[in-house]
Amino acid sequence: MSEQVDAAGGYRRASPWPVFVALGFALSELGIFVGLYPVAVGGLLLLAGSVAGILRESDYATDVWRPLAGLGVAFAVLGIAVVGTQVDPTTLDVLAVVSDPGGIVGRGLAIAGAGVILLVVGLVGYLLE
Amino acid sequence: MAGQQLALTVLMGLVLVGVAALLTRIEDWRRYTALAGGAVAVGEESGYGHREKPSGVIRWLTTVDHKDIGILYGVFALISLAVGGLMVMVMRFELLTPASDVISPQLYNAFLTSHGITMLFLFGTPIIAAFGNYFIPLLIGADDMAFPRINAIAFWLLPPGALLIWGGFLIPGIAPSQTSWTMYTPLSVEQAHLGADLMLLGLHLTGVSATMGAINFIVTIFTERGEDVNWANLDIFSWTMLTQSGIILFAFPLLGSAIVMLLLDRNLGTLFYAVGEGGGTILWQHLFWFFGHPEVYILVLPPMGLVSYILPRFAGRKLFGFKFVVYSTLAIGVLSFGVWAHHMFSTGIDPRLRASFMAVSLAIAVPSAVKTFNWITTMWNGRIKLAAPMLFCIGFVSNFIIGGVTGVFLASIPVDLVLHDTYYVVGHFHYIIMGAIAFAVFAGIYYWFPIFTGKMYQRTLAKWHFWLSMIGTNVTFFAMLLLGYMEMPRRYASYEFDPAVAPLDAITLLHQAATVGAVILLIGQIIFVWNVVQSWLEAPTLTDEDPWDLKNDGLFTREFGWNADRLALPDGGEEEAMADGGEAEADQ
Ligand code: HEM
Ligand SMILES: [Cu+2]
Repeated sequence: MSEQVDAAGGYRRASPWPVFVALGFALSELGIFVGLYPVAVGGLLLLAGSVAGILRESDYATDVWRPLAGLGVAFAVLGIAVVGTQVDPTTLDVLAVVSDPGGIVGRGLAIAGAGVILLVVGLVGYLLE
Repeated sequence: MAGQQLALTVLMGLVLVGVAALLTRIEDWRRYTALAGGAVAVGEESGYGHREKPSGVIRWLTTVDHKDIGILYGVFALISLAVGGLMVMVMRFELLTPASDVISPQLYNAFLTSHGITMLFLFGTPIIAAFGNYFIPLLIGADDMAFPRINAIAFWLLPPGALLIWGGFLIPGIAPSQTSWTMYTPLSVEQAHLGADLMLLGLHLTGVSATMGAINFIVTIFTERGEDVNWANLDIFSWTMLTQSGIILFAFPLLGSAIVMLLLDRNLGTLFYAVGEGGGTILWQHLFWFFGHPEVYILVLPPMGLVSYILPRFAGRKLFGFKFVVYSTLAIGVLSFGVWAHHMFSTGIDPRLRASFMAVSLAIAVPSAVKTFNWITTMWNGRIKLAAPMLFCIGFVSNFIIGGVTGVFLASIPVDLVLHDTYYVVGHFHYIIMGAIAFAVFAGIYYWFPIFTGKMYQRTLAKWHFWLSMIGTNVTFFAMLLLGYMEMPRRYASYEFDPAVAPLDAITLLHQAATVGAVILLIGQIIFVWNVVQSWLEAPTLTDEDPWDLKNDGLFTREFGWNADRLALPDGGEEEAMADGGEAEADQ
């Protein structure tokens, strides 16, 4: 990676993304563990956005939309899995847990929610471009 | 609750919009400058167009240059050192008298916890990363670290981590963590303070940061070496960084997982460490020390590398037995994972297990001693120049001997059963962490000061710094060893013992000696800060490319060669003037 040379032929010495990747990571972790759902969702959006940005910048991705959508799918699956751990396996009554989200379910929903938003943003961006 | 959530949502929304707005501005600037060179749209940055580094604060926020990141790590670590140092000064004043009359025991416990975590994770690990980032690429002839952006991410995880670790003090209305740095269960599960959750999260972030940094160092040293650098002539500092990074790779992710389990136990009702369930409380100690002992070698190996690198240059000869220093480094790297239960001798684990851990712990002293003998033989009959870096190296060796020998005593089960959880242990590890690790850091800062700043520090002040640190360290921590022999327990905010069972006068006196030593240390460090800041700002620019007179002895090294190239540039060697090695800039 140190070999990357940008369009002007110089070595890149600056990137706006690392600060936000770190901040996004910190906020998502804080939000998820302490149970501050808006912070969790916002942090995950920031994390995914800046990861997509950094992948694009370093030419690991050709656009930001596909990484965004991909991360969206990953978060959605993860969030649903977290919710799934709380569903009663005999009745499979999903509504019962989701309509009255407690600690774990709320966290799962926050992760899944962030994932869905990212997926939508990614798809829309991809289609519009 | 709903209102609070709404407010938080709005706040997060604003943060995201703000970030997006900021990014579009930065991206704009980049697009113009990067492509256009001369025809720059954003006026004030035009001078940096060809450099691709914006100016001012934005430059430091966006840099992916290993030297800048090294400086960032260094500044961050020194600020943490000041924070952790001031916390412990308050504690030392509390301990001047047996009664608890300066701060409450709760605040004492909180400072105790925060002091340990701050010094190990916010000062120790980052200051080593500072030297590694700045110098590894220069020493091995690489253009930069292998993953410059990951390097920046690793650094930027630290400030949020620090804020979380200190969160219990910073956020009004929540109590700071009082778990001590070892976070033993069940105490750490049952303590309801939100500050403890924040601290665990912060600790987790610093662990992620250290792991990313370690991966970067390993890949850099393996794949980015210049053509003339091979395994046979790789310098000793890079060897120790490589070994340290390997240890980090195995130790820190484990700490991260153990912390996540602890957080789950605290917040989501799991029972990983619950009394009588699954792993039970002792599981935490095993997991923690499986990380914790390697962590002490994570902290000590690179400083050993610094000393092995710097000391010979002031002894006028090459490092004695270079190969054996490398082998002993690798040996320590492996053995460090086989000794963790020496922290648990008194927990009632199986005596046969205990004996084997005792054997390995005694064995690990051998490679440590090999290094010590190598340093001493390097100085033997050498032409010693007692400049500040050398003084600190000699101080390192001397303090390391005391710290190491006391460690060997602790590794012996019968001795440990008496001394465990007394001030003897505190004395032991402070001899190494303050007396050795911090000394090596100071040696490095003085030795490379001309490279960091293009200036020279003030020699007299540096000598004051050394002697005050050396005396302060030995007064403080030798008093602690003696306190340990009197079985003064560690982690006590007050010590109003019954004089019939404890020699209270002697204990008080030794505590007072330790406090006096700490004040001496503090004065030394104030002189250090003054020296660094004033010399950086006001000293005349240094034009000598060989400030330590290394060429005469054939000990001139790559990083000073690089510095000489920089000085030779027509515009006087401003830091901005060139990329590493000078080639990158030349072909533009
Ligand atoms: C020469 C090799 C060493 C040996 C044999 C050794 C042995 C020990 C033993 C047996 C203990 C446990 C004492 C107790 O709690 O009862 C201990 C504690 C400790 N050692 Fe060492 N040690 C050595 C080197 C080091 C080094 C190089 C460092 C630091 C970089 C270090 C840092 C510590 C720390 C931080 C503790 C206290 C942990 C705590 O309970 O808070 N030791 N050492
Ligand atoms: Cu140990």
